[in-house]
Amino acid sequence: MVRASCILQLALGNVGKSGGGTNIFRGHDNVQGATDVGPNPDSLPAYYGLATGSWKHWCAVWGVDYEWVKKQYASQEMMEKSGATVSRWVDAVLEKNELIDQDNNVKAMVFWGHAPNSQTRGLDMKKAFDKLDLLVVIDPYPSATAAMAAMKVDGQELNPNRAVYLLPAATQFETSGSVTASNRSLQWREKVIEPLFESRTDHMIMYQLAEKLGFQKELVARLKLVKGKGGMMEPETESMLEEINRGSWAIGYTGQSPTRLKAHMRNMHLFDVKTLRCKGGKDAVTGYDMTGDYFGLPWPCFGTPELKHPGTPNLYDNSKHVMDGGGNFRANFGVERDGVSLLAADGSHSLGADITTGYPEFDHILLKKLGWWDDLTDAEKKLAEGKNWKTDLSGGIQRVCMKVHGVHPFGNAKARAVVWNFPDPIPLHREPLYGTRPDLVAKYPTHDDKKGFWRMPTLYKSVQDKNVEQKLYEKFPIILTSGRLVEYEGGGEETRSNPWLAELQQENFVEINPKAANDRGIRNGEYVIVSTPTGARIKVRAMVTMRVAADTAFIPFHFSGWWQGKDMIDSYPEGAAPIVRGEAVNTATTYGYDSVTMMQETKTTICNIEKAAA
Amino acid sequence: MARMKFICDAERCIECNGCVTACKNEHEVPWGVNRRRVVTVNDGLVGQEKSISVACMHCSDAPCMAVCPVDCFYRTDEGVVLHDKDICIGCGYCSYACPFGAPQFPSNGAFGLRGKMDKCTFCAGGPEENGSKAEFDKYGRNRLAEGKLPACAEMCSTKALLGGDGDTVADIFRSRVLRRGKGSEVWGWGTAYGNLPNPKPIPAPEKKS
Repeated sequence: MVRASCILQLALGNVGKSGGGTNIFRGHDNVQGATDVGPNPDSLPAYYGLATGSWKHWCAVWGVDYEWVKKQYASQEMMEKSGATVSRWVDAVLEKNELIDQDNNVKAMVFWGHAPNSQTRGLDMKKAFDKLDLLVVIDPYPSATAAMAAMKVDGQELNPNRAVYLLPAATQFETSGSVTASNRSLQWREKVIEPLFESRTDHMIMYQLAEKLGFQKELVARLKLVKGKGGMMEPETESMLEEINRGSWAIGYTGQSPTRLKAHMRNMHLFDVKTLRCKGGKDAVTGYDMTGDYFGLPWPCFGTPELKHPGTPNLYDNSKHVMDGGGNFRANFGVERDGVSLLAADGSHSLGADITTGYPEFDHILLKKLGWWDDLTDAEKKLAEGKNWKTDLSGGIQRVCMKVHGVHPFGNAKARAVVWNFPDPIPLHREPLYGTRPDLVAKYPTHDDKKGFWRMPTLYKSVQDKNVEQKLYEKFPIILTSGRLVEYEGGGEETRSNPWLAELQQENFVEINPKAANDRGIRNGEYVIVSTPTGARIKVRAMVTMRVAADTAFIPFHFSGWWQGKDMIDSYPEGAAPIVRGEAVNTATTYGYDSVTMMQETKTTICNIEKAAA
Repeated sequence: MARMKFICDAERCIECNGCVTACKNEHEVPWGVNRRRVVTVNDGLVGQEKSISVACMHCSDAPCMAVCPVDCFYRTDEGVVLHDKDICIGCGYCSYACPFGAPQFPSNGAFGLRGKMDKCTFCAGGPEENGSKAEFDKYGRNRLAEGKLPACAEMCSTKALLGGDGDTVADIFRSRVLRRGKGSEVWGWGTAYGNLPNPKPIPAPEKKS
């Protein structure tokens, strides 16, 4: 759906235009920022990937020796191989070792601000929790993780040597730092209160963990340390952003210095609410002139902060000069395929560019060929030699491209609708593994099973075929989907602990169509049991509503604290249970993963709904 | 002097409950007391679903005021209908009279002590000294005295809910209707304000000590 929407927008000519584009709604505060700094198992920060050159680039930025970093890994192969995704941690623990693409199964898990009930296959997950050697929960709330690990399930084996640690983390109000919204603009967040109780900031916890493991010097080689809670040392948040600035050339996370961002925060009134642009004005504190800046310097904000790139409010907008926030499509997929040029056609370029046709991405060789090398200063030349626009730590290549010649450092090419390296180069409808329509499965079957996909064996066809063969759709005739409520966030442990929000949604529920409800003798507000092919039976209130069609039911995913009809309040540390607890829909969700990203299937499974016995 | 009014634009309300949460947080209203609520009609019917945020509308000819047997209500010079909890006897007449379901009668907690009525104050506090602890404890924060508008409307992400000078909020609403060419029906406006002239202030009842 996401790719199809992007292709449709491209075909309609709605990309690269103010008011157009394909801005996706993300679920949490700063998800974009988190993604940008590289929590994914296939990349270093700023989408540099895991190749040797990427490691060398970041080691230079961090100020640590590449060979030293390499030594921390079992092998260079492991260092450069994409890891298992968080969606499959359960299998990384439980799967037979010979079937996974790494030496050992996962034995330790650190849940850092992560909610287990936002992940599918709850029954399997509980087994994985009980098999771990080590579980660490770092969170402002002990969270469903702690409760899920603590609860006893009859007949299930528990690793007697499992160690569980709960580390109280400070919230966003108890620290400062930059946050990134889904329009790619950054804001600086100030600390409102000191960390409460025993909580510590995330970066203090990380620093202290590195101390225990003996690499704190390398962790903060280029960072300034300051006194934090209780006089303990922690990396300064400004210097952390500056380190991100020094390395993230590939996405233009380089110009957003703390100084510029703080000036923006102090002077929000100077920015136009529609264009986001500053019409003029200086920051009274620093004297920084914000004229022309877009609020929050949405990335790409290329070059060094001194270059004063204004940020890019709309990607690929060739009606503007690159130093005015303009751009074009990136040359990211080579220059030619099947004898056809992938670069932009003649006359297609950002406003005022010296090159008026397509061009590849820039490196030192291209700069020299074009006779632009001498536009670099001597200091820039030293750092730019042998480098490209992504790895030149001087920012000179980006400066010369943009400021001197008005061209885009990442090249100028055509947008790509056909992704030849994906299983489906053009998005194709495939029926979910668990569905109610065998006729559609025959027409739109899923993929073949995969081996070693993000290190995991991943089943498609074998599961789908088995489900059709067993006629699961007869026992589970309703499609079950899940999603969000406005009152709660993510797994909901924090928001369900907030009385103002908890009051608004006090129990978990299943939205069921009046026809489906009537056929089953279910009345609005009654308890029902929702069962799925995993054997899970969850107890929720029926909400009889036309929001869903007769063949579909919906359950929000923010609840936890009940386990198949039982309140788990005794499994929470004393006094730490959220005000509102309820059945997690993901206790009941089923197997299924995206064939590219390994994203879990939370949107489609099948269920039956019946009245709960009184 | 401004005449304070609320407008909720049903074309814009997205049922996010931000107003409800803002109110709860601003005044520390206990669980079970709902000074403001979002009501949705035709839930789940495509194209017909509408939501509206409802609280005390601070009516021009306020029925609560008319029926109160102990005359605990008064009206500020900005047209805000307030009441004195020290005089209220918790009889509930106002609740029957109110067309908006504004008066709330909790059974316990700071606001509901001895079952006294609680309702939206347009963030204008009560008869106690502006900004005093006594005022906060009984009525919540007095934002108007601080030169601020009601927290609910200020928090509204789509600006469906507008609270402020009646002329100003009506102008904003009118220009929206002109622009979009639909949704001119202002829910509750006629009931609350009718064609009545701006009401005269009525002083707070004198304290009997």
